[in-house]
Amino acid sequence: MPAGTGTTAPGGTDETGRHQPPARCDRTVPGGTGEAPLGTTRPDGIRPPASQAPPALSGAPGRPDRLMRNLTIFVDSFVRLRGRAREALGRAEPRPPQPGLPQWRKLVVTDRAEEADGVVSLRLAAPSGGPLKPWQPGAHLQLELPSGKIRHYSLNGDPADRACYRVAVRRIIDGGGGSSEVHDAVTQGTVLRVAGPANAFPFAADPAVLLIAGGIGITPILPMARKAAALGLDWRLVYAGRSRATMPFLDEVRALPSARSRVAILADDETGVPDAADLIGRAPTGAAVYACGPPPMLAGVRDAVNAAIDAGRLRALHFERFTAPPVTDGHPFEVELARSGTVLPVPADRSVLDVLRAHDPATPYSCQQGFCGTCAQRVLRGTVDHRDQRLTGDERAAGDMLVCVSRAPESERLVLDL
Amino acid sequence: MLNKTLATAEAPPAGTAEPGPVALQPRDVRFDWSGLPLRWIPGEPQASHLLSVLHLLLPEGERWFVSTFKRALPLITDAALREDVIGFIGQEAIHAEAHQGVLDYYASAGVDTTGYIRQVEWLFRRILAPRPDLTPAGQRELLIEQVGIVAAAEHFTAMMGAWVLDATALDEVDLDPRMLDLLRWHGSEEVEHRHVAFDLMTHLDPSYIRRVRSLLLVAPILAIMWARGGKYFAAADENQDFRLTWRTYFDAARRGLLPTPGAFARCTLRWFKRGYHPSQDYSTAKCVAYLGSSPAARAAAR
Repeated sequence: MPAGTGTTAPGGTDETGRHQPPARCDRTVPGGTGEAPLGTTRPDGIRPPASQAPPALSGAPGRPDRLMRNLTIFVDSFVRLRGRAREALGRAEPRPPQPGLPQWRKLVVTDRAEEADGVVSLRLAAPSGGPLKPWQPGAHLQLELPSGKIRHYSLNGDPADRACYRVAVRRIIDGGGGSSEVHDAVTQGTVLRVAGPANAFPFAADPAVLLIAGGIGITPILPMARKAAALGLDWRLVYAGRSRATMPFLDEVRALPSARSRVAILADDETGVPDAADLIGRAPTGAAVYACGPPPMLAGVRDAVNAAIDAGRLRALHFERFTAPPVTDGHPFEVELARSGTVLPVPADRSVLDVLRAHDPATPYSCQQGFCGTCAQRVLRGTVDHRDQRLTGDERAAGDMLVCVSRAPESERLVLDL
Repeated sequence: MLNKTLATAEAPPAGTAEPGPVALQPRDVRFDWSGLPLRWIPGEPQASHLLSVLHLLLPEGERWFVSTFKRALPLITDAALREDVIGFIGQEAIHAEAHQGVLDYYASAGVDTTGYIRQVEWLFRRILAPRPDLTPAGQRELLIEQVGIVAAAEHFTAMMGAWVLDATALDEVDLDPRMLDLLRWHGSEEVEHRHVAFDLMTHLDPSYIRRVRSLLLVAPILAIMWARGGKYFAAADENQDFRLTWRTYFDAARRGLLPTPGAFARCTLRWFKRGYHPSQDYSTAKCVAYLGSSPAARAAAR
């Protein structure tokens, strides 16, 4: 059920005019759903008087609680008097928001290098040569490629180097084309729009750590290893890949302090494909594990590490968390915004939320996975293909839809109360 | 303010364990409360009941935070702050649901919380509700006031979060492990996003007066509602072999089972420092480390 709707009556609209689905805790109120809880401000702004404040928890039943009543009177008076003061002072508009930073800016590719078979690295710098925003191990950049595709790449240079960022990209033959575009169309001098850095894989510098990298997964792990060494942590690194020729940054990995005792390089063509026990067997006792690699490897590591944590041998597991999974089994359809009549096409590979955000950056959302309920919108007409894990049957029947994941059948038009 | 925004986004200097700013994301945690006793710290009714007030206040309160911040989204002109607010909203929405789950379980187990919940609902849905009858400028001014109230409340939730991560006494009292994980997962996310409401408040109105006023509104109400909630749960306890008084609170706090009055006082005073920013308090590394070990957060990580 969507949260964050507690200030409005069920099925009402809030002050921004957005439709709000029924609030969750209605069920804790006598009378149940379908009716505004006693003492709730109505959507048209009509407020129950202070004398109807709920009763005290002890003492004479039925009398309004004094704190609740007096607080109501105080806040109502405060709001009214401030409105009058504003008029009297002639200050009609409250202060505007402080100017802020745009999300995207342009960086130029200053260097492109082949790091291994199928892996190139890019160095990016400000066109003016000025310092870049600082970052910490685990951080990534969003790059907008010349075709308009947006891809996330982990930063893997030296955080102390404020003049340039380094990312590395493996060509994925059957991928969405982003990696091939980096390989084929991005060269020294290319200007790319960049957002970030942001860090969805923070490194907590635990006293004992095991770092696991699979192939191109070395990119966020390498700066973590450097930081672990610099802080004097008890660290180990296991770096696995198909063959040494395909594994980038082997030289830099071997150059890590005390690499001989702390680093294991496992190439499938030399020692076979390692299983999860091979990968986590080298962990110091009580270590926190940081892992990055292909999904099958991560799945094995996750199960093994979770079992080891439950058994008390390891302490924690960290891996990068991606918010928006790619759309699977989607068809193109349309959404219509009822209040403006605007019709927006939703391509097969984009979410309704994506399309709404492109139209209005203030569109609310959060998890992008269909569980937090923030992005709920009311559907006035059309058949919804619900894909969330949050809405109840009643909410769906009432027309609620989580636009981050839910869709519509091919060529359908959903009319949203927007 | 532009400089301040940049300053808050600065990574800490190399050589510290702190990971710098973290991209905030909600975690899809689930808890099964079957069999949870009302006194989930065995032999510690005062600490149990006072901490249980979180389950009474937070579902309604955090839902109100979410609705307030959703309404504030169109006012934000800073892209990084908008990202933070987006992450904050989802985390708060899940917090509300997680505590609601405890409340629902208690309701099914016959613990009646209706009287108290009615007051909490009045507080958030009547007293603090949006007022569509005001002029647009008035509504906007009220919204900024509400954001200030969230920021002041978050000052205390961050302090509680940092406390629960550090409270080793809780590891030694045979506390229900699910509840300890709920408190520490929630506390970690409160520490993780401790700067967001403050940044939004100063983005919309950097005035020191606003900051001071917000806390002066929030702190007394929070204290009174907390004491009321504790008494309410204490009265619902079948076993009336204890008393809940200031003295028993001080005693439990001294044994490390609750934040001390001194901790609340110091936390309050920090807010009034001119150059205060929440990033000066607590450790992001500590909450990241806990989230990597939390059973609920690990189960939610897919």
